[in-house]
Amino acid sequence: MPVTPPKWIIALVGAIGLLWIVPLIGVALTSLQTPEAIARGWWNLGNADFTLDAWTRVWTEYPIAASLWSSVKLTAIATVLTMLTAPAAAYAFHYLRFPLRRGTLILVINAFVLPQQVVIIPLFQLWRDMGLIGNVAAVIVPYVGLSYAWAVFLVKSFLEDFPKELIEAARIDGCGPVGTFFRIVLPNLVSPISACAILQFLWCWNSLLLPMLFLREDVPLTVMLARIAGQYDPNVNMQSAAAIVTAFVPLCVFILFQKQFAAGNQVSGGGKE
Amino acid sequence: MARVTLRNISKSYGQLEVIRDLSLDIEDGSFTVFVGPSGCGKSTLLRMIAGLEPITGGDLMIGGTRANDLDPVARGIAMVFQNYALYPHMTVEKNIAFSLKMAGYGRAEIARRVAEAAEVLQIGHLLGRRPANLSGGQRQRVAIGRAIVRDPAVFLFDEPLSNLDAELRVSMRSEIAQLHQRLTNTMIYVTHDQTEAMTMADRIVVLREGRIEQTGTPQELYEDPANAFVAGFIGSPRMNFLPARASGSALELPGGARLGCAGDGLPRELSLGIRPEAARPGREGGGLRLEMEVALVEYLGGTRYLHGHLADGTAMLIEARSAAGIRPGDRLPFTCPLEALRAFAPDGARLRSLSLLPAEPETA
Ligand SMILES: Nc1ncnc2c1ncn2[C@@H]1O[C@H](COP(=O)(O)OP(=O)(O)OP(=O)(O)O)[C@@H](O)[C@H]1O
Ligand SMILES: [Mg+2]
Repeated sequence: MPVTPPKWIIALVGAIGLLWIVPLIGVALTSLQTPEAIARGWWNLGNADFTLDAWTRVWTEYPIAASLWSSVKLTAIATVLTMLTAPAAAYAFHYLRFPLRRGTLILVINAFVLPQQVVIIPLFQLWRDMGLIGNVAAVIVPYVGLSYAWAVFLVKSFLEDFPKELIEAARIDGCGPVGTFFRIVLPNLVSPISACAILQFLWCWNSLLLPMLFLREDVPLTVMLARIAGQYDPNVNMQSAAAIVTAFVPLCVFILFQKQFAAGNQVSGGGKE
Repeated sequence: MARVTLRNISKSYGQLEVIRDLSLDIEDGSFTVFVGPSGCGKSTLLRMIAGLEPITGGDLMIGGTRANDLDPVARGIAMVFQNYALYPHMTVEKNIAFSLKMAGYGRAEIARRVAEAAEVLQIGHLLGRRPANLSGGQRQRVAIGRAIVRDPAVFLFDEPLSNLDAELRVSMRSEIAQLHQRLTNTMIYVTHDQTEAMTMADRIVVLREGRIEQTGTPQELYEDPANAFVAGFIGSPRMNFLPARASGSALELPGGARLGCAGDGLPRELSLGIRPEAARPGREGGGLRLEMEVALVEYLGGTRYLHGHLADGTAMLIEARSAAGIRPGDRLPFTCPLEALRAFAPDGARLRSLSLLPAEPETA
């Protein structure tokens, strides 16, 4: 039932929202000013002269375009892999009976509590021995692997409410377990899979530690941003420009797909519940 | 078309045994209804026949072959679920065609069969819709269509009508019965509603706690129940059970009524069953004479149900077709012919050895 909230709540929420936006405005303005002007404070707009200098310099002096492509590539591959394999794993854990099912599930889900930092050193040694350092697989494998903890959990908890009769009806109709997954379960899993995809996309896109350690060239935007920030020049304006480029894509993704994210999670076999 | 035979079937979930050593023969082409109270194992039994639930012990034979380890498709069964279980992302047409597609039929054959099933169930105009855009009754038709399109040897229904409203349930009931006459496949139907069982079945199997209490035609179960449970379960409104005490060759009933009785090995305490429709208000007619205090009159148009109790407080419900003017609080005498009475031992077993006689004339 939609209820109109009292005015003061709208005012309060508006004020807080504005507060949240201020840093964003700051970043945008910073990227458009000269370092001298920034030193006086980006909010001193009175005698600031705006320039696109930082944007062109960051684009020419650093391989931002290549990094953008690298980010897109890494994130897209990792996201698609998670979208395909996490639901399959959740389905197998939920509906199929196989030895060590429980043990494996607990193992996978427990990676939830395992901080990324813990796996990084052994993983580094492993990749080094396998000669994978610098290879995209060195990042994609842990991206996807670490996502299973929450992605499998998320899809599986959705499957808890998935009508069992649909699976049984498919069995009666002569559809095997793999066919049932692709023909019956997957088409009804759009909302949890989009949720997984969005989370995985944002997480991979913003991930810094793994690509920084495991990649040499072809680094994604986050690493590039860190490199720009690591310079000794006064280049806050270029950092801001790169930060905007970095943040722009996930922002678009989120705005575009927020509907799926919040969508209702009910599948029904048609009965009255 | 196939005969289904269950031989010493049992089912356990871990330690919990829900079906015990159950044997049953289901005739080819019959309409058999499993009926029983909630939790008695009807669905479990049906699902074992369907191949959705592994069988713990015993043999299941369908059409002469042992089917214990066969896939549902290899068993030649189709099932209609209580919640319809229509695939929400497919149109009605795709839903019905799905099993044919899985079985590898050609496009033309699928189209022909779907059209035929849609024709039988009068859902041709719904073929393009999604299940979410159908009414409950239409969904149920689609679910039935999905089953008949394969022309299975055995149809299984698990409470298919329980989600429908009362009126629709009655009409779907007769539709399913007609469908059976038309298709002549073996049908096994699960319900907890005895009215459904009575109206549709060739044979009823009454289950309780994983065991068969009695099998027979509706008439056999109604007229000749094997025990008090079946007598109470079959028939609506329920049969009344009156406590009776045997002393010598007489039976004492509540309110001082007496009957003569003969038979050997009778227990001292027993119960007499009277169906509401067997009782006749008034003093005319022989047999058992009783008197009840009416507490509530349920008027149903053609008939009325009189709720009340006997002198000792035993609840009593009788049907009165032509007793206008009876009101709550009235004391109403009624009679019941002796051949309509059923006697049961305290453990519920039917006392077939007991024969009832009219009360001996009072010896002053
Ligand atoms: N998966 C399960 N694990 C353990 N016990 C179960 C399981 N499924 C059913 N049971 C038990 O088996 C018994 C029979 O269940 P079943 O579903 O066959 O009852 P039913 O006769 O169909 O009842 P209803 O009319 O309520 O559908 C019940 O006591 C139930 O608790
Ligand atoms: Mg049931």
